[in-house]
Amino acid sequence: MATREGSFSVEDMKNVQINIGAVVKEADEWDQEMGPHPKPGVATLRSWDHMIANRYKIMYAPADDTCTLCTYGPCDLTGNKRGACGIDQAGACGKIVLIACLMGCCAHAAHGRHLYHWCMDKFGDMKFDMGDEILVDSPLYQTIMGTKPKNFKDFNEGLYYLEEEVVQLLAATHTGQESAFIDFESKALHAGMLDLLGMEICDMLQIVAYNMPRGAADAPIIEIGMGTLDQSKGVLIAYGHNLAAGAEAMLYAESNNLWDKVDIGGVCCTAHDLNRIGLGKGEAKVPAGIGMKPKVAGAMGWWRKMIRSGVMDCVMVDEQCVFCDVLADAEKRKIPVIATTDKIMLGLPDRTNDSIDAIVDDLVSFKMPGVAVLDPVKAGEIGIRVAIAVKPKRAEAKIQNLITEEQFKESVAKCTQCNECAFVCPPHIRISKLIADAVKGDLLPFSNYYEICVGCGKCEQSCPQGINILDLFEYANRQYIKNQKFKMRSGRGPARDTEIRAVGAPIVLGTIPGVIALVGCSNYPNGTKECYDIAKEFVDRGYIVVTSGCMAMDMSLYTDVDGKTIWEQYPGGFDGRNICNTGSCVSNANIGDAAIKVATIFAHRNHRGNFDDIADYILNKVGACGVAWGAYSQKAASIATGCNRLGIPVVVQPHSVMYRRSFIGRTDKPEDWMVIDARDGKMQQIEPAPEAMLYIAETKEEAMVEMAKLCFRPSDNSIGRGIKLTHYCDISMKYCGKLPDDWHIFVRDAKDLPLVYKEQMMKELESKHGWTIDWKAKKILTGPLRPADVSFDPTNLPRKIRTKK
Amino acid sequence: MAAEVKKGIDTTKNPIPFEMAQVPGPEQAKCYMPKVMGAIIKKAKRPLLVVGAELFDDPIMFDKIIEMGKMGIPIAATAHSVKGFVDRGYLENVYQIGLHPLTNNLRFPDWKGLDGQGQYDAVIFMGIFYKFANAMFATLKNFNRDIKRISVDRYYHINANMTFGNMAFIPDDYHAAVDEVIAAMQK
Ligand code: SF4
Ligand code: SF4
Ligand code: SF4
Repeated sequence: MATREGSFSVEDMKNVQINIGAVVKEADEWDQEMGPHPKPGVATLRSWDHMIANRYKIMYAPADDTCTLCTYGPCDLTGNKRGACGIDQAGACGKIVLIACLMGCCAHAAHGRHLYHWCMDKFGDMKFDMGDEILVDSPLYQTIMGTKPKNFKDFNEGLYYLEEEVVQLLAATHTGQESAFIDFESKALHAGMLDLLGMEICDMLQIVAYNMPRGAADAPIIEIGMGTLDQSKGVLIAYGHNLAAGAEAMLYAESNNLWDKVDIGGVCCTAHDLNRIGLGKGEAKVPAGIGMKPKVAGAMGWWRKMIRSGVMDCVMVDEQCVFCDVLADAEKRKIPVIATTDKIMLGLPDRTNDSIDAIVDDLVSFKMPGVAVLDPVKAGEIGIRVAIAVKPKRAEAKIQNLITEEQFKESVAKCTQCNECAFVCPPHIRISKLIADAVKGDLLPFSNYYEICVGCGKCEQSCPQGINILDLFEYANRQYIKNQKFKMRSGRGPARDTEIRAVGAPIVLGTIPGVIALVGCSNYPNGTKECYDIAKEFVDRGYIVVTSGCMAMDMSLYTDVDGKTIWEQYPGGFDGRNICNTGSCVSNANIGDAAIKVATIFAHRNHRGNFDDIADYILNKVGACGVAWGAYSQKAASIATGCNRLGIPVVVQPHSVMYRRSFIGRTDKPEDWMVIDARDGKMQQIEPAPEAMLYIAETKEEAMVEMAKLCFRPSDNSIGRGIKLTHYCDISMKYCGKLPDDWHIFVRDAKDLPLVYKEQMMKELESKHGWTIDWKAKKILTGPLRPADVSFDPTNLPRKIRTKK
Repeated sequence: MAAEVKKGIDTTKNPIPFEMAQVPGPEQAKCYMPKVMGAIIKKAKRPLLVVGAELFDDPIMFDKIIEMGKMGIPIAATAHSVKGFVDRGYLENVYQIGLHPLTNNLRFPDWKGLDGQGQYDAVIFMGIFYKFANAMFATLKNFNRDIKRISVDRYYHINANMTFGNMAFIPDDYHAAVDEVIAAMQK
């Protein structure tokens, strides 16, 4: 219930119960009225969700025809049958979707909760200050909570809210609770929104506590790749998402002048975050510029390749996206492992309370393969000391990281060409063919498929001959990984208010053709290079391209003819023809934040406690499209779902069918595309823009055509629509060899037509679609479903109608 | 080879999901011989050929599909496979549409089809990334059982009604089997 300081009047009320909850003190500087939905509960935004679901049909691709969740099971749900509890297949799918979104949401929220306690312990309560250029400093928090955090302590309220909602949502998944698929999806959308909030809290806390860049378009260009790690030093790897222990390792190395003895390499999002530390312009509680000292080893998808490279001396894992066989892989190579959070303890003894010297001794002497140390300060010191001390010991132990030529030959000779391995390989690599070529002495195919192999290791487990296929890949590519050295822009943090002011109008009118957000990582359907290809296509065309996490790292591994990575080719602003690395996985919140800021800064919409209003604005007016290419995790599922609730469509890769649910419109049903014109409340049919909320593409080519299409918005003016149509048609011409079949449905006026195709299109409109054309005036007389109208104000919310009837 | 052609290629061997762990439940596809498959496609009133981007890995398949297209079966060219038809100058009854929106439409009885003439009664999948095709078959299997799900791909597709066994590693046999399907359709 909305609670605000001040008075209220109650008229004509009977049998009304009034609950006075916490009174929010917001009489101070925030001039925005409280919106209708601060701290929305599970059902508060249900009508918004149902609006989404009615237009964007919930489509399930069940990965399982059965349910085994309770003792009545297994139940056969094939053909949408009902299980013993009464749930049908659609409901059972919805339940799994909700659980997946909750997993993703909780991963970020728990990370945030840990950081909250850790930062309060380490730094004490700090002022939440994003600097002069970011005054709308926590857009998601403000939109969802209806309050503005001013100090770290204030974020506690957001975390409490989130935690309570998550418990309610998880409760709904018990047998005999929710059963309607549409309500599971409403709840999943709620979980997705909570995930956006959790990510934002997490990122804001670390940006301020660790003085990270606050919207720095010129964030430094840093090195990335295993080849950047100096192998003459001890190499400590910090792998995961939570910077706490890795940061302590850095601080220990700094205060003990150990950088000439140790190199720290980050893997996965911890890498992004370590490399942002101390690069901001805020209150400095960490040494300035320290983030330039560690290296970015690489993205998590490269893990099994990296650990075989022989470069690592000690591995410190924190949380999320850590391969579960990390300990086995490390032990085999005598790389001590330190588990630093209670999320991942790997079965290791908890040595948090033991003396550092004793733990270091045990690890350096290989007495134990690893330890759990849950105090980040202690873990950081142990990591550095072990990496340095174990290096010579590992050298002495003559650890074999790579197989020898002889072993390689022996292994490939064992292959019977049975193709068992091909039956499990996600990108369908014909491993037997690579081996057959290798037997003939040609290792090139092994190199060509190196980046397409996602390093899952499934092939090894299926091989009846026990061939260690990943070792074969590593042997064939041994030079690559050791020399892998590229450039990446370090995480810049959120878009600045001034940047939003500059791009707000061009985005809404369409003259910047769209904002493309590339997220999700590691399970690419056809290799890491696709990240680069997609980003390059859109940044080159003048879109604003935003990326984060492992996707940002993976696209760094490719260069143009001049040897420049994408980060060196384009500037890092939130602007057309720019590419931003917003930061780690939790920095994905900045993408939602930027969309909210267009609504609130450019269009002056009140966002406070007003989620559906802002989402409605974004859906109708902000041409943004996410692409989760390679997305593997439940976090990707919840982030995409959160973006969907916020009105941002997302394209996903074909493996994403494992998420089971998509949202896709029926473009043949006019009634699904009716919106309200907020000027007078009249209903108006719009072109299907955007036509989907969660679209599954089979190939990167299809994805790119679709992404361009999903940037159309009903609010585009003619110049903007023309630009968007040009790119949509150009991309289709480039990859499909023809104009798309549906280009005409986006034409409202001859002025919308792209100049290059105008003549051809006008002819086709007349001959193929029966439109009437005034050829002299070059005007369309009849045909479009609505005229282009710059002041058209589309909305899906009746409360936005300005002239009440 | 000649003897094989006479007898026909046995397409019923090796009925294991091409992604082995894709075992969804009790209802699993049956393997059919090409002739039967061809006859059933021929009998369908509103068949739709649905093809994907894997055709680019085996371009001869484009020609075979165009042959089927010329017999009057409309082709939904999913992903960016339409490029293969453009390059071969055949766009007669080829529609460019993503497999995802297509499957979404297929599950609604009131959809009027790509040509506006009504919902289809059989879909024939070829050349589509396995996991994606499998999932879209799963959608139809669970949510619109009025459409017959036929796979004439080189994989055993567990969520189809009718499929070949795995032929991914015997391309010659697979090509011959597809030719037999086409021959049976022409009868
Ligand atoms: S939860 Fe329902 S559908 Fe699932 S096993 Fe139990 S009774 Fe069957
Ligand atoms: S490790 Fe690589 S080759 Fe092996 S199954 Fe996974 S992706 Fe395929
Ligand atoms: S499973 Fe092993 S033996 Fe069989 S083809 Fe693959 S690598 Fe060769």
